[in-house]
Order: sequence, then C-alpha cells, then structure tokens
Amino acid sequence: MTSLGLKSLWARKIRALTTTFAVVLGVAFVAGSYVLTDTIFAAFDEIFEESLSGTSVVITAENPVKQENGETPTISASLLPTVQETRGVRLAAGAIFTPGGFFDAQGEKIGNKFAPKFISSTLPDGLEALNYVEGRKPRGPREASIDKGAAESSDLKLGETIELIGQGTARKFRLVGITKLGSASFGGASIAQVTLPVAQRLTHKLHRFDQISVAAAKGVAAETLKRRIARKMPAGVKVETAKENADRASEEIRENLGFLPTFLLVFGFIAVFVGSFLIFNTFSITVAQRISEFGMLRTLGASRRQILSSVMVEAGAIGLIGALLGIAGGFVIAAAIEALFKAFGLELPTTGLQLQSRTVIVGLVVGLLVTLFSSLVPALRSTRVPPIAALHAFNPEPSRRRRLIYLALSVLLAAAGLAMVLIGLFGSGSAGTRAGLMGGGAVAVVFAVSIFSPRLVPPLATVAGWPLERLRHLTGRLARENAQRNPSRTAITAAALMIGLALVAFVTVFAAGLKSTVAQVVDENFAGGLVIQNSDGFSPIPNGAAAAARKVPGVELVATIRGSQAKVIEGGAAGGTVQVNAPTRDVDAAVNIEWKQGGPSALRGLRGDEAIVADDFASSHNLALGDSFQLLTQTRARPRFRVVGEFESKLGVLGSVLVTQPVMAREFAQTQDLFDFVKVEEGADEAKVQALLTVGSERLFPVTEVLNQGELKEERENQIDGLVKLVYALLFFAILISIFGIANTLALSIHERTRELGMLRAIGMSRRQVRTMIRYEAVITALIGAILGMVLGVVFAALIAQPLKDEGFTLSYPIGSLVLLLVFAAAIGVIAAIWPARRASRLDVLQSLQYE
Amino acid sequence: MSVNGQVVVANDLHRRYGEGDAAVDALAGVTTAFERDRFTAIMGPSGSGKSTLMHILAGLDKPTSGTVELDGVEITKLDDTKLTELRRDKLGFVFQFFNLIPVLTAEENLVLPLSIAGRKPDREWVDQLVRTVGLEDRRTHRPAELSGGQQQRVAVARALVSKPAVVFADEPTGNLDSKASEDVLRLLRQAVDEFGQTVVMVTHDPVAAAHADRLITLQDGKIVSDAAPGSADEVIELQKRLD
Repeated sequence: MTSLGLKSLWARKIRALTTTFAVVLGVAFVAGSYVLTDTIFAAFDEIFEESLSGTSVVITAENPVKQENGETPTISASLLPTVQETRGVRLAAGAIFTPGGFFDAQGEKIGNKFAPKFISSTLPDGLEALNYVEGRKPRGPREASIDKGAAESSDLKLGETIELIGQGTARKFRLVGITKLGSASFGGASIAQVTLPVAQRLTHKLHRFDQISVAAAKGVAAETLKRRIARKMPAGVKVETAKENADRASEEIRENLGFLPTFLLVFGFIAVFVGSFLIFNTFSITVAQRISEFGMLRTLGASRRQILSSVMVEAGAIGLIGALLGIAGGFVIAAAIEALFKAFGLELPTTGLQLQSRTVIVGLVVGLLVTLFSSLVPALRSTRVPPIAALHAFNPEPSRRRRLIYLALSVLLAAAGLAMVLIGLFGSGSAGTRAGLMGGGAVAVVFAVSIFSPRLVPPLATVAGWPLERLRHLTGRLARENAQRNPSRTAITAAALMIGLALVAFVTVFAAGLKSTVAQVVDENFAGGLVIQNSDGFSPIPNGAAAAARKVPGVELVATIRGSQAKVIEGGAAGGTVQVNAPTRDVDAAVNIEWKQGGPSALRGLRGDEAIVADDFASSHNLALGDSFQLLTQTRARPRFRVVGEFESKLGVLGSVLVTQPVMAREFAQTQDLFDFVKVEEGADEAKVQALLTVGSERLFPVTEVLNQGELKEERENQIDGLVKLVYALLFFAILISIFGIANTLALSIHERTRELGMLRAIGMSRRQVRTMIRYEAVITALIGAILGMVLGVVFAALIAQPLKDEGFTLSYPIGSLVLLLVFAAAIGVIAAIWPARRASRLDVLQSLQYE
Repeated sequence: MSVNGQVVVANDLHRRYGEGDAAVDALAGVTTAFERDRFTAIMGPSGSGKSTLMHILAGLDKPTSGTVELDGVEITKLDDTKLTELRRDKLGFVFQFFNLIPVLTAEENLVLPLSIAGRKPDREWVDQLVRTVGLEDRRTHRPAELSGGQQQRVAVARALVSKPAVVFADEPTGNLDSKASEDVLRLLRQAVDEFGQTVVMVTHDPVAAAHADRLITLQDGKIVSDAAPGSADEVIELQKRLD
C-alpha cells in the first residue's frame, strides 16, 4: 500500500506539484523568517564583539530606565585617571558614541532617513576597533572619518567636506579616512569618527564620556581587572568585562527587536494556514476522483487501514519533499524580506545567512504536520468508500447527520472564537496572552466560517456572478453554475483567499482608523502654527534650534518640549514606564490643553517639586490634587512631585507627567528638545515664516524640519501608510498560495468535466468562450473569498477598535479601498485562471468526447 | 448550394492512425455524398470506420487525405475557429451519452447552440420543438430530473434548434431501452419529413437503421453496400451477408 501511495503520487505529478508548492511556500516563509532574524542577530553580535576587540573592561553609566529616544546618562571624565592608575591596566581611554546627523557638502543627508547614525571619538591604537580601509584617523579639529557603507551610499571621497551635527549647530569637516568594522554590514547605520575633544564638543558632553574602554596588561584577566576597577568607582557607574558588555548589548537588541521574529513568523504561519486549505482541497478532490479505484481495491480485499495508509503515505511524501524544498527556499525568502525591508527604508545589519538546526527542525515539523493534518479528513473519507463503489456511481455527498454535525461545529467554533477574542480584548492578563487569545480566536472564527461557507457559496456566487451574467449571458451563467456545482470545494478554495483578504481588509480599515485618529489628535492638540522636529519624526533636536527660531521675523513665540521615560515607584518598587515631559511655561499658547484640575496658572508657576499629570495617569495611580508621587529616572534619581494640575490626555504630545525644564535637565539628564512649537504673529504670513525657518534650519540644524499642521498630519499618515504597505507586501505570500489554490481546484474540476467541455466545443463553443467561462468561474470563486474576507476583516477591525475608543481611537471605513480590494480579488481570479483556462480551451474535442 | 442538392460530399477519404507497422487504416478511400432532406444510416462492425467517417464529415477529425465539402465549403483545411463556427451554425449533434449540461434546465440546454452564438431564439420555433419532443411540462427541469429518453429527446431538439444543414447522430439510441429508442428515432424521422432536415446517423442497431431512407455499410474502412435499408430483418440479413 505504501508503494501504491507513492505510485499514485507519481501518476498525478501536476496535482502533486501544486500541493507541494503550497507546502514549500509556507515552510519557506517560516524558515526564511528564522534565517533572516538569526542572521540579523548574528550580525549584531559580530558588531558588538568586533567593536570591543582589544578591550577587556568597559565602564559606563548605570541606566535603570531605558529610553526610547533622547539622551542617555554619561560618566564624568574625572574617573579616567583613577582607572588608568589601577594595577593591571595597560591602556584606558574615554569615548563618545552618541546619535547625530551626517550631511554631505551639498547638505544632502548621508545614509537612510530612519537608520541610526553615531558620532564617535577616536581611541588610541590597541583599543580602536574600527579598521581604516582608506586614509587615516582624524587628528585635528577639522577632520573626520566615516564608515565604508555610508561613504559608498553617498559616493564620498577622501578630501571632501562632510557636515556633522550633534547638539549644537552643524560643523564642517574634511573627510580623511574610511572605516570598516569586521565583516558584518551595519545595515543602514553609520559611524563618523572625530577626535575625542571634537566629539565632546559636538555632542555637548564636555568633561563627560559615554564610556571608558580599558585594555588589560599582559596576563591580567578581564574579570580580575573589572573587580579592581569597580572597587574604585562611585555609585551609578557600571563596570563590565568586554564580554559582559557585548552580551548585554546582544540581549538588549534581542529584546528591542524581539518583535521582529514574531512579526515575521505570524506572516509565515498565515501562509502555512492558507496552504493547509489548498492541501485539504486537493486531497478531497483526489479522493473523490479515485472513489471507484478505492472501491476496486476494497473488492480485491484491501482493508480500510490499507486505503488510509496509501493516502497518508502520499501526503507524507508531499509534506517531506515540500518541507525540505521549503527550508532551502527559506534562504530566498530571507533575502526577499531583507530586500523588502530595505525598500521600505528599514535596513538592518547582515552577515552570512544563518541556518540553525532549529530552523530545519521547525520547517520539517511544520511541513509534515500541516500536510498530514490537512489530508487526514479526506483520507478518512476514502476509507468509507464501500466495495460496491467500484461498480456503481457512489455519491459521496455528506449525510444529513454529518451536515448537522458540521453546522453545530461551526457554530461552536465561532462562539468559542468570539469569546476568546472578547476575553483577549477586554480581559486582564499580559499583552502576549491577550494577543494570543485574540489570534487563536481569529483562527477559530476563520475555521468556523470555512466549515459553514459551503452554505454561503450558492447565494454569494449568485451575487458575485450577477454582473457577469448580465455582461456575458451564457458563459457568465455557466461559470456561476459551475462555481455552485460543488459548494464545499468552492468554499474551501475561496476560504484560502478569504484569510489573506480578511487580513488585508482588517489592516486597511484599522489603518484608516489610525490615520483619522492621528489627524484628529493633531487637530485637537495644536493650536495652528508650525512645528520644528527631527526629520526622522522622533529623535530630539538641538535646543539651539528654538533659540534661532525666536529671532525669525513673524515669530511670536517658540514653546519647546523635552521628554524622557521614567518609572513610577509604587510601594518602594519601580513599576510601569511613563512619558515625562518638560514644556516651557508658554506651551499652552501653541498646544491646546484641556484642564481638568488647576489651569494655566499652575503651568506658569510650576515649581521644581510640582507636576501636572494627565487624567488617565492620575486615575490609574489614584492621584488627586495635592497628592505626591515618586519617579525613578534614567540617572537613578528618585525625585518626588506634588500634583498641582490635571489635563485631559487625548493621546496628546504632552505625555503623562509635566515637570519643569530645569528638573528635566537635573534629574532626567535631558537637555534636548523633542519638539519646538512656533506660534506665528497675528497678521504674519505663516507660509513666509515657515520658508524663513526652513532656510535657517537647513543651514544650522539640518537634522530638523519645519512642518505646518497639514504637513504634520500628512507625515504621520505617511508613516502609517509605509507600515501598511509593508504588511500588504508580507501578506502577498499568503495570497499567492491561495492563487495556486484556485488554479489547482479549477484544473481538477475541469479534469472532471472533460466530456462536458468536449460536448460544448462540439456544438460550437469557441476556445475563447471556454476560456472566458473558466476565467469567470475563478473570478466568482475569488469574489466569494473577497466578500467573506472583507466582512471578517471589517468585523474584526471594529471589534478591536472597541477598547481603543476610550483612548480616542476613531474607526473609519475606507469604502474606496474596500471596493478596490474587490477589483483586486477579481484580478486574482483572472490570474489564477490563466493556466487552467488555457488547458481547457486546448482540449481536443474528439478525445474529450470519448474521455471516460 | 452544391450540385443536385448534395449537402455533404466526401471525396476519397483516407484516415490512418499511428505510423509504420502499427499503422491502422480506419478509412481506406471513401467517396460518397448525402442529399438534402434525407435520413441516412451508417452501419458496420466495430472497427469498420463508421465513427471515424462521421467525425471527419462533421469536422471533428481531419482525414489523412481526401476532401469533405459541407454545404458548399471545403472543411478539411479550415482552422479551429472556422470549424467551431461551422459546427455552431451549420451542424447539429446528438451523442450517445452526456449530451446535456447538468447545470442548465431542459429549455436552456435546448437553445444552447443559439446562446453560444449569442443569438435570440425564435420563440415560436422553440415552442414547436418543445411540443414536438413532448416536454412542455419539463422545460425548467434539470437533466438529472429527466429520464434517459427525455434527455435524448432534448438533445435531438437542441440539434434542430439552429436549423442546421446536417444533423449528425452518433449511436443516439445506444443507451436507451426500446420504447425510448423508438421515440428518438421517430423524432429524427419527423425532422426529415416535416422540418426538411438532413440526418446522418451512425448506429449498430438494425431497428434504428430501418428508420432511415438510405443505409451505408462500412467494412475495413470501405463502403461495401449503399442501398435503401428495407425492414429491420432485411438489415440484419444484409449485415449477416456482408460478414
């Protein structure tokens, strides 16, 4: 029976090929996600290790609250002599490694907009990790080097001028060297090197270091040296061996980018899920077409178990071959996703592609399990074929009882799925558990709809086929009838597409909601005027920008806002992270503040030990006017604040807690502005003021951009659009599989209808009409998938938006985009039908008529 | 119009299947003509070439050599598109099995050739056909709801609906009991006598052949007899003699 399974597989190569391809695509996406993220992490590890070559011990500032953006704490330069005098230290040097901006002589940005750029200081030989592949280290105050990737991307040559900007205005440097670090690429990130005093001046870190690097004398263990140095260091200073430091950096990166493997794997498993529908359908149709063969085998004495194993062997072989090819295909997918990320401006470091044994194991298990599981139901159906089926036409229609069971199953699944989604939405528990519940619930609902959908096929096909019947009477009519002929087959085929399109619809609706929310937030928060911000949209900007802007004619005032993340201390322990902001006292002239307690006077007279809090922060921490609370900042300070005012949060730019700017500098070590709000004088031309500001900021602070309210909205909307497009692109794989599914089902159905097609051709149907008929059948199938998918997607978006409503999220339904999605689905049908339609139209009339 | 009212003229038809030693001559030089308003039966033992002859006459197969003129058109050199149009507009077909599209109603099946051509059916003509085949109360039934005989009668009506130059019937009674066979044969006879149709029927049933005006008998790819059939018994006698 094993050999029968394999022989029948060989006998139906094309069908086996499409099924295998579904497994390959799904597994390849899963394997590719692993390969790519493993590679990225390996590249980071390489970078961290390489950057500490020659270094034994690293000294940095403790940082109990990690920052999303903004400055990190530094250590005093006065620690260096103490370190240098420690026994066993061969060499020690302070270093700067701070985010900044790079521009070429024409003022064009060097490197990718969103990728990090670092200003670093040169280190003495023996500690220096960067290799100079061209030129030499910068020595004087006007010299700089840049990494090879950045130099190549902006076509920079030695001797040319580049501009670096830290916290002050942009400074010009002569390019004297080009560097490289080990063999890994930085991705989009880049490093410019200048001498230590220059780096300190550029980043406003006079007498401060980001880090002290220490090389041990011969024979002194790093661990020993670390202990000796640590004993001499004050509190708030962290001393680590180079290995510990690199490991911590690796771990932090894995934490920060931890979402990436999950994010990609979600798309991988969606592809696998869609593939399982294709496998299920192919095996169902195969079993239906082989009923007389099974009947014959049963007459010859084959047991049910033997029939079952012959089908399962076929499935196992497809699963195994598909999984192996899929793992190999993972490399292609990894490269494709990387290219995709790059196209969306998300460049990540890479090195040689990593294939870990985990990738192989997961790929094999997923490929085999999905194929075996998807073919189990059809295989069990094959065992119910009675011997008599060899002689008589056997009608495999499910019995009434079985159909009732299916109905009950779909209702139960839908109820359970909805319950899971609702618990995930409104229940407690960690974000991960809740996301898992919602995901699991969504899968259950999709299953429920798929099981129920055969009942929906006839009415939906009538709706979807109506325009085609109007347009092309007979071919449209026949296409619609053919789509309805075997509702469960059409339903499963459509369901595969439904999954992909449901996600597309969900993302489309949700993104439209996000965009309208963002627009609303901008409108509600800003009282007109202009905003100066970092051109990446989130990093801080030099605070000289505000001072310069105040001198521009037509500007009434410039309010600034600085910010940092801090932890709330509750019951003596540090709790959740909150955004603490420090605005200038005139910020209410540029930003709308809805006061709930206190008022503008609270802001004007805000003292160092006072804070104004957002209403949601107040309620979640049980704070009323006059109560006090304590924060833990990134500098390990624990300032205490008394509540003197409360404002409505409205997802605004103000964050959760407002303190004064001197407190922000002293306790939070933040001196840079996040945003500058410009109020234009009454009667002044806003566009003219914006043009003046833009000219100035381009020259002095090229990392900044000046936006009016409309542009600000547009920029935020563009960011959402970018992400949405990336998600669409990743969903494309799942949709591709469902295209194969439609093609496969059509090909198998046409095979069954060979004689009918022969007859139609004999009585005068042209090849073109045959193609049209099949194309329309595919279009109707795809539209059924699209209608179901859109309903699911929109319902899920509406559900998930419910708990967000309190936070100001408003849902909007992009009718235009949804109509476009229907057109897209119809196009998918047309594409899927190309090959089956061509095959059907080329059938030999005479042979088809005689076909048994 | 071809000479003497001949609607199909076959000239020295040869059809060879396979190559070399394995080659089989299904037709080995057949020359004949079919006149308008006549009902012709073609008989012969299995492998005699009777089906091949009909397929070539109907443009479903191409001869290795020889020509077929159909209603004044030489069809053996036509491309697929032209042949398709020819079948659609000038020919009617009745097959042994699987004549109807299961998803269409009886009446939709009946007018199928017109629907394919995108033409509006002539209501009166369709009603007359439905009455003639006796399916007035079955118009909206699907093939699965009709008996084998009823299905075949719809197929005959379908072959007549476009008023073709010739109706080709390939073993139209091969799958029916004698009562249903009789109905179908009477219909074909009626088509010739009342509607002025030309019918060419391949059959192995002497009773069916006896309904025809003319009986052509094939053996080993050649016409061995061409005469009026006479009664069924005479047909059986003829076949025996030829064996």
